[in-house]
Amino acid sequence: MDQPIVIEAIMGSQTDPTLAERLHDISHHGVVEVLFVEPADLPRRRFHSHTDRGTACFVSLPRATQLFDGAVLHLENDRAIILRVGQQNWLRLRPSDDGAMELGYLAGNLHWKVRFEEGCLMVALDRPVEEYRARLVDLQSAGKVSVVE
Amino acid sequence: MRKIGAARIGIGGPVGSGKTALVERLIPALHKRGVDLAVITNDLVTHEDAERLRRTNLLAPERILAVEAGACPHTVIREDPTLNMEAADSLDRDFPDLDLILIESGGDNLASTFSLDLVDYWLFVIDVAGGDDIPRKRGPGVIQSDLLVINKVDLAPYVGVTLAPMIREASAARAGRPVLCTNCRANEGIDAVADALCAAVLYQAA
Repeated sequence: MDQPIVIEAIMGSQTDPTLAERLHDISHHGVVEVLFVEPADLPRRRFHSHTDRGTACFVSLPRATQLFDGAVLHLENDRAIILRVGQQNWLRLRPSDDGAMELGYLAGNLHWKVRFEEGCLMVALDRPVEEYRARLVDLQSAGKVSVVE
Repeated sequence: MRKIGAARIGIGGPVGSGKTALVERLIPALHKRGVDLAVITNDLVTHEDAERLRRTNLLAPERILAVEAGACPHTVIREDPTLNMEAADSLDRDFPDLDLILIESGGDNLASTFSLDLVDYWLFVIDVAGGDDIPRKRGPGVIQSDLLVINKVDLAPYVGVTLAPMIREASAARAGRPVLCTNCRANEGIDAVADALCAAVLYQAA
């Protein structure tokens, strides 16, 4: 069995000038592999996974360390591994004038991750959109919330 | 590998589903795999579960810490897990070679989930005596946990539950994420749970 590459620290961002130069060089004479993580799994610090080239990795980061898109996880002469976060999808909800409080209460009660944008409540979709829409049926039928997109 | 503290695994589930019984069975199963471990229990206003575990003599008493949630059990594993994080940090300090800390939540309902700030992986324990409709109710604990454990499978015939459809519905609700069955009283299914935990958060060959 292959031994997984152990990742115990983040070396920096792929946009750091020094690292960017190293990655550029490796991409010419070696391979830059990508480890994908879903947005909902970004807080994790200890897990097994495989890169897009099938390299086994064991991520074991200190608790104060936070993964991020573009994090450089591994560097050697002819191989690098960078982290890529999957696309975060959002559900855009527009409350009516008398629906905002109820929508805010619902989102909080369900522990949805949200942000605000131009009068809309943006809900991060960590699970299938149908699960979120099912919780909105009553507010929608009462005309208190509309799903913009 | 550098030692950066033990991996942390959450164990949640409704009152009476068998969380403490599972911990009691997991301790020897993990010891058998060479895992150095400790346990944190959460109770409302007592140390009941910690004292129960200490009476088993499965672990040295100082490796079992109790957290009193005081109120809603899910609060101390999700919204503000500070008490549990501090307890885990203290175990890391006292036992630098620890591999794993099991954090057993206080009994709650189907909505409890663990913060990934607190744990690296979490499982949710339900039992057949609670009703075969639990997976269909799609509680966040059932849906979002890394591993769903259906306990007390030996009771199925006595409570009118047919196990196979319950497992199928649980797998469907979880979109194929793992579901394991246990009978903690008879020590059945425990090895599979222990293997799953080790494979998820401990270093081992791929």
